[in-house]
Amino acid sequence: MIEFKHVDIKYGDFTAIKDLNLTISAGEFFTFLGPSGCGKTTTLRALVGFNIPASGQILVDGKDITRESVEKRQIGMVFQSYALFPTMTVYENIAFGLKVRKLPKDEIDRQVNQVAEKIRISSQQLKRNVAELSGGQQQRIALARAIVQEPKILCLDEPLSNLDAKLRISLRSELKRLQRDLKITTLYVTHDQDEAMNLSDRIAVFNNGYIEQVGTPYDIYNHSRSEFVCDFIGDINRLEAAMLSDINRQTGASLKENLTGFIRIERVLSLEKPHTARLKGTVEDLEYNGMLAKYTVHACGQTIKIVEKNDGREFFRPGQEIIFYISPDDIMQYQ
Amino acid sequence: MKKKTNTARLTPGAIILRLILAWLIVTFVLFPNINIIIDVLHEDGRFSTEAFTKLLRSRRAVKSMVNSLVLGMALVVTVNVVGTLAVLFTEYWDLKGSRILKLSYMTSLVYGGVVLATGYKFVYGSKGIITKLLLLIMPEMNPSWFSGFGAVLFVMTFACTSNHIIFLTNAIRAMDYHVIEAAQNLGASDSKILFKVVLPSLKPTLFALTIMTFLTGICALSAPLMIGGSKFQTINPMIVSFAQAPGSRDLAAVLALFLGLMTIVLLYFMNRVERKGNYISISKTKEKMHKQKLRNPTANIIAHILAYGMFIIYMLPICFVVLFSFCDALSIKTSTLRLSSFTLKNYIALFTKQDAFRPYLVSIVYSVAAAVIAGLICVVAARLVLKSKRKIDSFFEYGLLIPWLLPTTFIALGLMFTYDSPRFLVGNKVLIGSIWIMLIAYVVVKLPFSFRMIRAAFFGVEDSLEEAARTMGAKPVYTLFKVILPVILPTVMSVAALNFNALLSDYDLSVFLYSPKYQPLGVIIKAASDEGVNENAQAMALVYSVVLMILCGLALYLTQGGGTQAIRKKLKRKS
Repeated sequence: MIEFKHVDIKYGDFTAIKDLNLTISAGEFFTFLGPSGCGKTTTLRALVGFNIPASGQILVDGKDITRESVEKRQIGMVFQSYALFPTMTVYENIAFGLKVRKLPKDEIDRQVNQVAEKIRISSQQLKRNVAELSGGQQQRIALARAIVQEPKILCLDEPLSNLDAKLRISLRSELKRLQRDLKITTLYVTHDQDEAMNLSDRIAVFNNGYIEQVGTPYDIYNHSRSEFVCDFIGDINRLEAAMLSDINRQTGASLKENLTGFIRIERVLSLEKPHTARLKGTVEDLEYNGMLAKYTVHACGQTIKIVEKNDGREFFRPGQEIIFYISPDDIMQYQ
Repeated sequence: MKKKTNTARLTPGAIILRLILAWLIVTFVLFPNINIIIDVLHEDGRFSTEAFTKLLRSRRAVKSMVNSLVLGMALVVTVNVVGTLAVLFTEYWDLKGSRILKLSYMTSLVYGGVVLATGYKFVYGSKGIITKLLLLIMPEMNPSWFSGFGAVLFVMTFACTSNHIIFLTNAIRAMDYHVIEAAQNLGASDSKILFKVVLPSLKPTLFALTIMTFLTGICALSAPLMIGGSKFQTINPMIVSFAQAPGSRDLAAVLALFLGLMTIVLLYFMNRVERKGNYISISKTKEKMHKQKLRNPTANIIAHILAYGMFIIYMLPICFVVLFSFCDALSIKTSTLRLSSFTLKNYIALFTKQDAFRPYLVSIVYSVAAAVIAGLICVVAARLVLKSKRKIDSFFEYGLLIPWLLPTTFIALGLMFTYDSPRFLVGNKVLIGSIWIMLIAYVVVKLPFSFRMIRAAFFGVEDSLEEAARTMGAKPVYTLFKVILPVILPTVMSVAALNFNALLSDYDLSVFLYSPKYQPLGVIIKAASDEGVNENAQAMALVYSVVLMILCGLALYLTQGGGTQAIRKKLKRKS
């Protein structure tokens, strides 16, 4: 179990992390999600030992490791750049940590081969120089190098961000499989919300050195606790006073008209359901991306986005009138 | 991202390392150079400007200063023209036989200093083969025509293009070909593209090269010394001759001081321009440069004539030096090539006679030792400076860069005038006349270049490599030796090779500091080119030159030209 207690991290005068409190359970796949510069990598590096907090404590299994040296923490890390040693072969890269621990040669050999098999690296590839491998393969080796150490905790700092979209998705599921098999507590840093939702047991959304919300992917998406989280995750519509008042009038709901309302774009419906407001607008633009059609609609003096599955129904054309339905229960508002 | 490191207490090892470095810098970099300035400004223990007035009264000295400036300025024009053309001919325009042209232009990388001056003198000098040919055509011509300003300018123009070959080539290769295609697409002609797009983007490089050329010009030693004759002497030859007579040592020091000041001012300007950054390419997706066809037929013909004209000038001295190194002493003396006079005797002598091989051994031992020591010092210092958060450690950085600001002769004189008497800093020993002083000088002059390159190599190593090693439990020293050093090793090796090449035939430092028992190659080759020297010595000098070029070429090939990889690949294929 990992605990951050009142952790402050500073770079000179700049405070990167303010009073961070967080508990991560053993075996959990936990993701730090947020835009760049929000402090997620800084927090991860503090756990690994590259940053020393200005105040506060970091505990692993109840033991204070705040000031322990990196070498002694037994926390594995996979870097964004992979940080493979360019002068060594794949085998030597994976064996590096085992050699540091002065394990006997045959034991090193056994462990390297075992992890290679797990991560699907052939014995041929083990002899190659790391520079000769593709990005995806390099990624696997970085991962193999970290897990062969059998660390208590595995930290991954945007490990998939240098790969192309397809490879990213296939490695994502492999990563999840591995974590489930090995049951290592895993901390994952990313700015990609898809990745976070897909992989994580729980997510912490970071903003400007603070944690905005910690929760399961479902919670974070459907019950976003702040405007930032709501905005950062998924696509949303902002609803202004005129539309909110129309919805209140039709449904008898009591949405606050002086605050902005937020609704996920897929919750703006094209078919009527009970307890929804019926609204009318004009199609301004149509964005078509194969699976979905996304309409920009002008209604109640504002624009709103509506998405529809491309399941054979006819498209609306720009200028055409469109009827849509909104349930007040789907609208989120923040003080 | 910035990193936070806490300044831990220094270990005893780290303290000792710092003390040794500090002693080296103070004793061999700072003290001698400060001492020479004090020397110049003091007469009988009091402040005095006597040395300056003495200098201004010496007509020879003043003349040499004027000559140096004239030479520097003339070289800026000629070297920029020839150097830029050489690079355009091989990198920018698509000329026939550009590979062979390139090879010939690249000879300036392995062929410089006294060796080059000897070669040119051998070909164009009063007994040279070209002079003999010219005399056949114009019998009333002065056989010693190849001397004075024109001759020095000619020799140095072709010798000093080496910087263009290295830096301008890289600059052109770093350009984005899409930029040229864009200009073509916008309707620009070939000449417009060259003058409005290509050359302007090379401007920062050309400016730096201009300053480097000017500095080489004013600091020239071997060419004016050997070819300038009595009519054209510049500052450095003057310093050599003043320094050798006890009565005019202060004059030598003032002249060196003058050169030093000039160098500092010029380097200051160069640094300012460098800092403004270059604008070679701002593209994210760069396209490799392609060579341009010269579409205008007249321009194409002119370019080929010029390119091959330069080819001949570069190759002539080298070819004749190689040819005559296989000739007997008589043909060398009379510059006549006859089939019957070809022999391997000179080469056999080099490897069988101990006294023939000795200068080689001396120079190789000194150069290897200096290259290795300079490399070691700089690896240690660069690591210290980059890892340290202590302000005081930047002393090492500046200390090691100081020799960059000073001409070689200044450094030589500093050491010469300082360690000719017992000094506390070196355990009250006299270093002049010992075998150590030249080694020390060799190391000192190579520190700035080595430090800059090795520091850059350390910078280039991603922080995450070190961090990755630490997460796997490796201690800092283990990480340094197993992870970081292997990554920067290629740079260290190529720095060492370049230093080795430069020192192997060094004359500028050696002439002041060599121990009479161990004469280095540069001094021997220079002596052999003097008129009236015995022909065996001349034959040996030619052999020395050829072997030197081969050695330097080999060192460059192995470390810069991808030679090591090529050999490794071949070996791999065999196994």
